[in-house]
Amino acid sequence: MKILEIKDLRKQYPSFLLDGVSFDVEEGSIMGFIGRNGAGKTTTIKSVLNLVHADSGTVLFEGQDLFANETACKKKIGLVLGEFNYYKRKKLKSIAAVTKAFYEEWDEETYQTLLSRFALDPEKKVSELSQGMRVKFALALALSHKAKLLILDEPTSGLDPVSRDELLDIFRDIIEDGEHSILFSTHIISDLEKCADYITYIKGGRILTSTDADSFKDAYRLVSGEAEQLEQYRHDLIGYRAHAFGFTGLMTRGNAERAEGLKIAPADMESIMIYMEREDGHESAAE
Amino acid sequence: MKALLNKELKLCLHPTVFIYLGLILMLLIPNYPYLVSCFFVCNAIFFIFQTARENGDAMYTAMLPVSKAQAVRARVLFVVIIQAIDLLLMAGMCAFALVSMPEHNAGGTDHSLSLLAFALVLFAIFNLIFLPSFYKTGYKAGSSFLKGAIGVWIWLMLIEGLMIASGTMAGNDSAPAFFRFISENIDCFPQTAKAWTVQGILFGAGLLIYAVCTFLAARISVKRYDKVNVQ
Repeated sequence: MKILEIKDLRKQYPSFLLDGVSFDVEEGSIMGFIGRNGAGKTTTIKSVLNLVHADSGTVLFEGQDLFANETACKKKIGLVLGEFNYYKRKKLKSIAAVTKAFYEEWDEETYQTLLSRFALDPEKKVSELSQGMRVKFALALALSHKAKLLILDEPTSGLDPVSRDELLDIFRDIIEDGEHSILFSTHIISDLEKCADYITYIKGGRILTSTDADSFKDAYRLVSGEAEQLEQYRHDLIGYRAHAFGFTGLMTRGNAERAEGLKIAPADMESIMIYMEREDGHESAAE
Repeated sequence: MKALLNKELKLCLHPTVFIYLGLILMLLIPNYPYLVSCFFVCNAIFFIFQTARENGDAMYTAMLPVSKAQAVRARVLFVVIIQAIDLLLMAGMCAFALVSMPEHNAGGTDHSLSLLAFALVLFAIFNLIFLPSFYKTGYKAGSSFLKGAIGVWIWLMLIEGLMIASGTMAGNDSAPAFFRFISENIDCFPQTAKAWTVQGILFGAGLLIYAVCTFLAARISVKRYDKVNVQ
């Protein structure tokens, strides 16, 4: 069952267009939302939640029109837009006290457990927290009201590797019951390799693909060849890096299988993203 | 709405609001334009908007399970509560001043129902200008306050000037009867049935103007803020 359906979302800015963004988030899954800085990830998330007024498009949450039932839908959504950067002179306990009044489903026990797990002192002020600790505080608030869908915009940016790993474990725990889902935007692709079930890739305000993580990776191959082979395969390469001894690049699986004389290897998500973003090719300094 | 008001009180309320509300003691200054005390309350309201803006309140609120319209209505209601507190304090001060300083106020409106009526219109003007102007962008608190303050001061100078003029001209037989009417029925603590009636009507009109203007301000603000992109 689809917990979130985004259909043809469009937002025109003077120098940027979010162009008919459509994708779904399945119940009980983690959707990784990837794209480079400025691709439209945050604009999409903000448009979905009506923070940014979309020019057109619909968003359904559990089959309900989110824009028409904003309050009811948002009660079931946990949202983290990076680190908690609000009311920096207030203590965490004051902000939590205000925040929890908005949720009938607030679970104080979960909140206290998360505070301990993240080593957050409720007596501290937001300004006294590091960047990573502010992200953890935002996550503690978002995870404590039994949200069915977590929408997280760059939640792992600013966290140390141990905290990131711990967080990914928490994400897996959350979706384990099959009723909760996570939409997780990031440019730290290694995090998604560890936990994402589905991938949606946005580039220049347009969705390039939205599919399960295995199919996403399986659709591409990393190839490498001699310098003289580059001209022959240049048009089949989605992106490539030329160097003194030849080239490495990305091809669709079909093209890679048809190519002769190239070394072919499975593609990882990070390589796919890097080569897709440098689709016009790149002559390295070594050449 | 209760949770939103709680948020306004616990997070957005700037401590200077209490200081500005305390300036109601200005009503004990002899011969002074008492409507000035209301301007300070407008100043306090500006500080609430500025505090909220500087603390990223728009984004924090947008992440909560409330619509933009609810967020605007809660803030407007918070403004109304502060203005109502000021008016109640003003009514109390007028009653106290009746006993402690019954002399005529040569600096503007006397302690009276009229003063409350004029204060209501002053707040109505401020709300109608400041709130829709702020919610057009969701962040321009300073320029919106400036526009609101200009409206407030025009009203303040007009009314207090008229009261000072009527007090001065009332004893002059050649002056228009209009000034005597003001002096005997509006710019005084009501002691005759006629004065009570006139000031009662003024107060009722003030309440109506305040209600209509604030309702309109909220409505326009909601419409404008709906189009704002919370960044």
